[in-house]
Amino acid sequence: MKETIFLKMRHRVQVQPNATIRIGDVAQVVANKQIDDIVQTPIYTVQKKDRNIVIVDVMHVMKALMAVAPHDDIQSLGPSQTIVEVVYEKKRWGYLYVPIVWLLLFVGSGLAIMNFHEDVSMQQVQQRLYRVITGKDVEKPLWFQIPYSLGLGIGMILFFNHFFKKRINEEPSPLEVEMFQYQQSLDQYVIMHENKETMRRMDDDS
Amino acid sequence: MIRELIVAFVGLAGGLAVGSGFVAFLTVLGVIPRLTQLTKTMKWIATYEWGVVLGAVVSSWMSLRDPLFSFPPILASAIGLFSGVFVGMLAAALTEVLNVFPILAKRLGIDEQIVVLLMAMVFGKVAGSLFHWIYFVNR
Repeated sequence: MKETIFLKMRHRVQVQPNATIRIGDVAQVVANKQIDDIVQTPIYTVQKKDRNIVIVDVMHVMKALMAVAPHDDIQSLGPSQTIVEVVYEKKRWGYLYVPIVWLLLFVGSGLAIMNFHEDVSMQQVQQRLYRVITGKDVEKPLWFQIPYSLGLGIGMILFFNHFFKKRINEEPSPLEVEMFQYQQSLDQYVIMHENKETMRRMDDDS
Repeated sequence: MIRELIVAFVGLAGGLAVGSGFVAFLTVLGVIPRLTQLTKTMKWIATYEWGVVLGAVVSSWMSLRDPLFSFPPILASAIGLFSGVFVGMLAAALTEVLNVFPILAKRLGIDEQIVVLLMAMVFGKVAGSLFHWIYFVNR
């Protein structure tokens, strides 16, 4: 009997090196009959030359599906390819850089704010402002400047909506949105640029 | 009389250019939408706009006329804190616009620990600023 098989490619999956990718790994499959064997159909084996990104196109999955279920109607929904990320051994050295980068950002942002203050003559402005408010001439208006300095940090935390691990409310912070957009652009790039290459290599193998 | 009119016109034109530039800068950085999002007060956004405009006008008047008041220093502290928060938000918005963190975190492969990098910048700013005002200015 003719059944309809619904197929939806996943967006991004991670696999081990040399893993065999099965249909169920890269796509969700729904049908009105037993599909366990269909889902287990291997479609590709990750090789060394694939480096860390393989793009599996929906057409490739379709071809495999038609071979195992030749009499069924296949409907594809959603994205038309899956990004397969080959995860080699976790990069440990990444964490060694963290203290260096931390210090770099710490010292750099400190220096940047000092340069900014000098650039806009913040000291004179604050001296004048202090005189306007209190009527007193003070060379170092620390009553103004220390709260200002602490406020700097508060403002940055407020903007990024993060206080260490704890977030102030449920919404994603601009930083997380920015990370997401950057990742999306990267994904878009590899989909466009790796797809043709990888598919040609795949076809050579089969 | 003609000369005064020309001076007034030049002043008005300059003010227009600076004022619109200031507002455009704030808009690009998105500080006001961020504040309304944090406090869930989108309805009051027009009021906030007037706050920015009046703040700019009052401050420029004060910087031109140099009035003198005799408020206690604690008011200076409050204003200092508020201006600090504002500048902090501007600085944060600027790093965000320049896309520093996503690229840095991606290169290092520490997407989850991005908060650590963020705190480095926050502490760096506070420490740099305190160092500047307390020690650096008299050297």
